[in-house]
Amino acid sequence: MTVFSLIIINKAGGLIYQREFQPGLRKLSTNDYLVLAGTFHGVHAITRTITPKLPYLATTPASNTSTTTSSTPTSATALASPSGTTTPIPNTTSTAATYMYPIPGVAATGLDSLETDKFRLTCFQTLTGTKFLLFTDPHMANVEPVMRKIYEFYADFVMKNPFYQLEMPVRCEAFDRNLNGWLRGRT
Amino acid sequence: MAQPPRHAAMLSLSNSNSNSNSNSNSNLSTASDSRQPAHLATASHSSTGLRVPSNRKTIYDRHLNRSRNAELSRASFAFLFAEMVTYAQRRVTGIQDLERRLNEQGYPLGLRLLDLLFYRTISGSTSSALSSSSSTSASPPNRPLRILPLLHLIHGPLWRLLFNRPADALEHSVSPDTPNEYMITDNDPLVNTYISVPKEMSMLNCAAFVAGIIEGVCDGCGFEAKVTAHNQPTEMWPGRTIFLLRFGESVMEREKVLERAGVK
Amino acid sequence: MSSSTKASRIGEELWKTRVDKVNAELVTLTYGTIVAQLCQDYDGNYQEVNKQLEKMGYNIGMRLIEDFLAKSNVGRCANFRETADMIAKVGFRIFLNIAPTVTNWTSDNNQFSLVFDENPLADFVELPDDGRAQDELWFSNILCGVLRGALEMVQMQIEAHFVSDVLRGDDTTEMRVSLVRYIEDEMPPEEE
Repeated sequence: MTVFSLIIINKAGGLIYQREFQPGLRKLSTNDYLVLAGTFHGVHAITRTITPKLPYLATTPASNTSTTTSSTPTSATALASPSGTTTPIPNTTSTAATYMYPIPGVAATGLDSLETDKFRLTCFQTLTGTKFLLFTDPHMANVEPVMRKIYEFYADFVMKNPFYQLEMPVRCEAFDRNLNGWLRGRT
Repeated sequence: MAQPPRHAAMLSLSNSNSNSNSNSNSNLSTASDSRQPAHLATASHSSTGLRVPSNRKTIYDRHLNRSRNAELSRASFAFLFAEMVTYAQRRVTGIQDLERRLNEQGYPLGLRLLDLLFYRTISGSTSSALSSSSSTSASPPNRPLRILPLLHLIHGPLWRLLFNRPADALEHSVSPDTPNEYMITDNDPLVNTYISVPKEMSMLNCAAFVAGIIEGVCDGCGFEAKVTAHNQPTEMWPGRTIFLLRFGESVMEREKVLERAGVK
Repeated sequence: MSSSTKASRIGEELWKTRVDKVNAELVTLTYGTIVAQLCQDYDGNYQEVNKQLEKMGYNIGMRLIEDFLAKSNVGRCANFRETADMIAKVGFRIFLNIAPTVTNWTSDNNQFSLVFDENPLADFVELPDDGRAQDELWFSNILCGVLRGALEMVQMQIEAHFVSDVLRGDDTTEMRVSLVRYIEDEMPPEEE
């Protein structure tokens, strides 16, 4: 159940947060992290662009449970991404009628995860375009709830902090503290 | 040093907790609308220039205790408070100035909440905020005359009304030089829950807003005081805050007189 | 089930299970002191106060949207009608524990009204009896900004303004919301 580290990338592809959660983990250089953030941002966009576009068929009935299932490429296309290349969903009734409401989970667009023998990188992009990149053990199950919790901490301790400026690097002591405490408590 | 009470400089714009009750009372005698039962008589157009909805659903027609147990999201408070801090920051010269401004924004809340606390005690509603106090303030509806009952009012009922729990400690200064100083501790002030103060502003405590509320309560009771918020973190409570109340000379003088007169 | 009913259920469920609460009077009084401070800072220039409130709301909205998304875990709305229900029945529920009525749609589905039966921000409020405030001040104008800021972050440019307010002596409190456009993606051109 190891969570190695977290990276947050803003809408423009800039690195705004990076923390390790394993003591003594070897750090990359700041420059490497910046390159990683920018590269991932670009690759993410490309994977979205190359998504095969199929005629839109009725999806499986939407359930309103709070658990998210990973989206298929089809729905990823249909959901349109914040900064994506798909056009916003047309406002015509005929199209709208083919969507179930609410669409469960968050639009998982572009690259969702990247895996090697040694680690897995899971990407969660919010509807506002912010990306959370979580580095975990490749065998770790249930990354999703961890991601959701991190997003909630972000909404609480970053967004509600008057001293945080949007899109800028995150330096919020309470965010670090709560995130660390929670991750420690999990293991 | 006596500062003139700030009531006069208070808002012209009212969340009229404080005066709606008295207004509607004073208007009972003048209200001539016979279609309305007397207890529904409003401070309507007959006495003010304000228009009211045709259903006459004004603040005077709604019970003051209506919102007593009402809840709103903590997030809404946090966003409003954060925006208050951001707005204040744009208009100040430094940390002290920022704290002063936050204090000023809390002050009117203190005055209003004081009235609300008294009103709810006097109106004898069941398990009123004051009488449910566990400690020494079990002698409402009288307003506090001495410092100690005032402090208990703040530590207990006021804190419970605002934050749903009493404050964590109440202390008197041990220094003989500062008998006028009292401290109320909150281990984890609700207003600071989501706030991380940048290192370069480490002296700042946004609970200056709460200090302003306390100051409003003190002033409203006739206890001129200066109240400030200070960071006193412990390992367990990184946000621990001490509210330092410094009562004015006049209050200390009066305290002695009342002491001799045996007033509690 | 209509999208409105479904949204109502989601909103109520979230309010019950996912929302940290605080005393309502603390929120109401805090908002009151903010408006009062603006009236003082802008010397009773209510037009300017309206503008500032909208701006504050905009700043809040850009942040609040993340809290909304994190708590609700909802996906993108399929159309503006769904968006309206999401705002009224989920957004207003989790932040103010109210659910204004969505009504008065234009035929192109781009404009609607929110009608408020309750407005916790304006609880206990009476506007100054100065002969101007009831004609000029929109006490709850911060809400217009919140909607604009929040929706902009999910790629919708909207315009919102109050058209009536019980504080002004009107019989209803109504906000008009118009979709200006969906904001197109902002990818660098070479990736288009």
